[in-house]
Amino acid sequence: MAEYTLLYILFAPFVGSILLLFIPNRRALPVRLVAAGSAFVSLIASLYLFYAYDPAKGGFQFIQKYEWSKELGISFYLGVDGIGTPLVLASSILLFAGIFISWHIKDRIKEFYIFLLVLAAATIGVFMCLDLFFLYFFYEMSVLPMYLLLGMWGSHTKNYLAMTSPEEREKRDSVGFIFNFGSNSKEYAAMKLVLFLSAGAVLALMGILLIYKFSGLNTFDILVLREQAKFSGPLATLIWLLIFFGFASIAPIWPLHSWSPVGHAAAPAATSMLHAGVLMKLGHFSIIRVAFEILPQTTRELMPIAAILCVFSIMYGGFVAYYAKDTKYVIGYSSSSHMGYVFLGMAALDYISLSGAVLYMFAHAMATGMLFAMAGWVYDQTHTRDIPSLGGLVNRMPFIASCFIIACMASIGMPGTVNFIAEVMIIVGSWNKYPFQVIVAVVGIVLTMAYLLRMMRGIFYGPTVEQYSHAHDAVGWVDRMPLLLMIATSIFFGIFPGHFYNIIRSGVDPLIARITEVVPLKTDGQTNNKLSAVSYQPSAQRSEGHKLSADR
Amino acid sequence: MTFTLNLTGSDLLLMLPEIILTLWLCGVLIVDFAMPKLPKEQLAYLSVCGLAIVLANLVWFDVKGVSGTLFTNMFVLDRMALFFKILVVGATMLVILASRDYVQRFRFFKGEYYFLVLMSALGMMFMASANDLLSMFITLEFSTFGFYVLVAYLREDVASNEAGLKFFILGVFAAGLLAYGISLVYGETGKILFPEIAATAWTPGLVIGFLLIFASLGFKIGAVPFHSWIPDTYHGAPTPITAFLSIAPKAAAFAILLRLFFVSLAALKPAWVLLLVGVSILSMTYGNIVAIAQKNIKRLLAYSGIAQIGNILIGLAAGTKMGEDAILFYLLTYLFANLGAFAVVIAVSNLIRSDEIEDYSGLNRRSPFLAFAMLVFLLSLAGVPPLAGFIGKLYIFLAAIKQELYTLIIVGLVNIVISMYYYLIIVKKMYINEPTDRSPLVVSPSMQAVIYVGLAGTLILGIYPKPFIEWVVAATLMFSNLAPAAAVVPSVLPFGG
Repeated sequence: MAEYTLLYILFAPFVGSILLLFIPNRRALPVRLVAAGSAFVSLIASLYLFYAYDPAKGGFQFIQKYEWSKELGISFYLGVDGIGTPLVLASSILLFAGIFISWHIKDRIKEFYIFLLVLAAATIGVFMCLDLFFLYFFYEMSVLPMYLLLGMWGSHTKNYLAMTSPEEREKRDSVGFIFNFGSNSKEYAAMKLVLFLSAGAVLALMGILLIYKFSGLNTFDILVLREQAKFSGPLATLIWLLIFFGFASIAPIWPLHSWSPVGHAAAPAATSMLHAGVLMKLGHFSIIRVAFEILPQTTRELMPIAAILCVFSIMYGGFVAYYAKDTKYVIGYSSSSHMGYVFLGMAALDYISLSGAVLYMFAHAMATGMLFAMAGWVYDQTHTRDIPSLGGLVNRMPFIASCFIIACMASIGMPGTVNFIAEVMIIVGSWNKYPFQVIVAVVGIVLTMAYLLRMMRGIFYGPTVEQYSHAHDAVGWVDRMPLLLMIATSIFFGIFPGHFYNIIRSGVDPLIARITEVVPLKTDGQTNNKLSAVSYQPSAQRSEGHKLSADR
Repeated sequence: MTFTLNLTGSDLLLMLPEIILTLWLCGVLIVDFAMPKLPKEQLAYLSVCGLAIVLANLVWFDVKGVSGTLFTNMFVLDRMALFFKILVVGATMLVILASRDYVQRFRFFKGEYYFLVLMSALGMMFMASANDLLSMFITLEFSTFGFYVLVAYLREDVASNEAGLKFFILGVFAAGLLAYGISLVYGETGKILFPEIAATAWTPGLVIGFLLIFASLGFKIGAVPFHSWIPDTYHGAPTPITAFLSIAPKAAAFAILLRLFFVSLAALKPAWVLLLVGVSILSMTYGNIVAIAQKNIKRLLAYSGIAQIGNILIGLAAGTKMGEDAILFYLLTYLFANLGAFAVVIAVSNLIRSDEIEDYSGLNRRSPFLAFAMLVFLLSLAGVPPLAGFIGKLYIFLAAIKQELYTLIIVGLVNIVISMYYYLIIVKKMYINEPTDRSPLVVSPSMQAVIYVGLAGTLILGIYPKPFIEWVVAATLMFSNLAPAAAVVPSVLPFGG
């Protein structure tokens, strides 16, 4: 039973979405219950996974392998390591919370939950795939539901809605208008998101095809490629760049980020949560899984690119978030700014910093999930995302306001939340290699504080706006539970990060050892039952006292 | 290869499926004349029954591994021919089912419609077996005659007449080119059988001859620059016939193209690869870019079809067995997705009498089933996992990258993104826009059946394509001499579980 855990996590949402097809649309409660039930199965299974994963053993666990096509060298190959496990957990927590956050959707509930479940399941699929083909399969599959979720249940920007006269209507729907910042329709946002991500995916696919061709192994199996494929020279550089920029477009790294805040802003609350919480991490995760694993030498040579770009990500995102007037734009740009920290942690190629990056992905998923959930609540109550027109909502919704404060604190990285640990790890780990970037990151934290507190003041404090006196708080357990779940997760792991840290280190250590060549690769291509190839000695850097036999 | 079917020992039994179909279509015509009171829908079911028998026969042949040649090698029956025959017969069944309601629109000759469709199908079955220049010409023309009539079947409709005229004039022109090309090739080589031609050196006559033959086949499959009939003909023809045109003749023409290129011209591969690369790039790019501007869904699918053909030609340009497997698999995925999409178009057109994309606004509110089906079919055409089209595209790309056709792959990948745009525009209309008329649409059972078959095919081929991949690999075994077959890595399991 237990060895099928990954299948439960992955297929529960798929089965749920198939069941939903057979429930009539007008019956809201069964639809919601089926969606919540399937997400619950997934959540419980991934909690089990999280605690049953054995960090002392390390490597890939809960392996499932089924032949899919012998001719093409594809197998349906699942397994999680210390990097995938936390992200699987984050996805299923956010999916479960997201289903309750969108409990009050009235329009076409069935379709909404079907697309949401497919989106989440595809995301989870990426985090547990050990086959390049299926990694791409799930990656691309997660993009398309976003289009419909944004388009059907999303919201327009204030400026867009204000353009009502005939000339303005014509202007706002014209092609030239798409470059106008902040005045976008949801359809535009959805299309931009899909085209950007598809273009990125296609770059990555080219890289994957080149790996397939030049490895000469006729397989998509990441573990086989990792041990046996040898790339060097310009070819390795080309593949690495394709993989990196292909996947980094979803991450989103600085010059490729422009779809992301627009998409976040247009999306309904649960979708933004999943989107910012886990979808963006697909980028980092896939870079780690493909580029780091298969091209370790090239990663060492080229990862400074990420270190340079992450500076722009952090500062640009931070400043735009400071000046944005739309709640979801603020959170959206803050997300793309915070993803710069993850890139910094990855770029330093250090045990501590990469662990911090992985932990930060999890921490950011919780924090930004909360923020988007509450921005969505405020929007549902007031039908505006415009910060200057809001104010004094703390009187109307004290519970939401207090949760919002906690979420802001988590996002800033206050001690006691898991974000703090992650930020400290990134900063400490990267200091030796990239001191300038670390200084930028610290400035970025100050910026985060500035814009989040400013937004909080704008929405919840100040004079009460009469117009919104009908707005009400989250009172039912359905509305409070998801927020409390995310807050509890964030604080729990902020206080008890031990097991979490061990899990991550068990995944990160062998990877960094390979990349930094603490131990040269042994490539005898042994295919015995043991975790083969590299016999890994504990290095001075990882003398934290954890017993990690992370040998690959 | 010898004939191994032990019934009566007569070689003519190799043509058993064709013979059954010939008798059956005569039967359909006789029933139509002899029983004028019979509702014409019954003829549709009668035709489908006949095709089902033929299909069963073909599958039986395929399972038994029946193969052989007839008429001094003019007619060849091998697993590839069987594959294409199964494809054509399957497509014909779906088209006839989808025509059942549409036929009510015709004022005359409702019964003959089924006869003509079956006749075209018969021609295409022979095309799949054509093994020399003469049978190629005869079967091509045989299959096209039915279409000349069918395209112009809406007699009162100007567009349909225009479509018919355009198709006829260009089709006859293409036939002329083909005949001239055949005469040149025959003049140069003195042979007509594909395996015997086996050209080894280019002579000017041979070059021109093959270019003319390729032009004529390019006309059949609608590759740029031989595509100009496609949009108007697709637009004007009765929609079930458009659906039929968009898949069956193209598949059958690919059967001939494969034999021609891989058997006759195998030695001259470097030369024709360039030609195919050019045609493929033009088709993909032109089809996708022009599709963006379309307002009519039939025209949009016409241009998207041109682009899809460009995709399939990548596999042909690869020129290996794997490329050929990929073509066969892609045609399968294309059959389900494209016929499915046209089935939705037919269903919508039956209900609201319009093919304008604008009228698809809010389809999701009026008929969630139709909108969902269309969503699946369009995304499959765009190549989105977990649908069939994705596997088809990836298979083609894998075959191409092994031959280092990087330009083609890059153009193909860029085109995926472009095509995503216009497919999503339709999705936007269906799901995001609000309908002007909110009355629900009820789909008839026969249309539902067609759409369900399309959905099932699209999903199964996307999620579990293994048996189908094995089928196409087995179907092309005779081409395994083309290039070393993909060496399958023995399953390497670093972690035993």
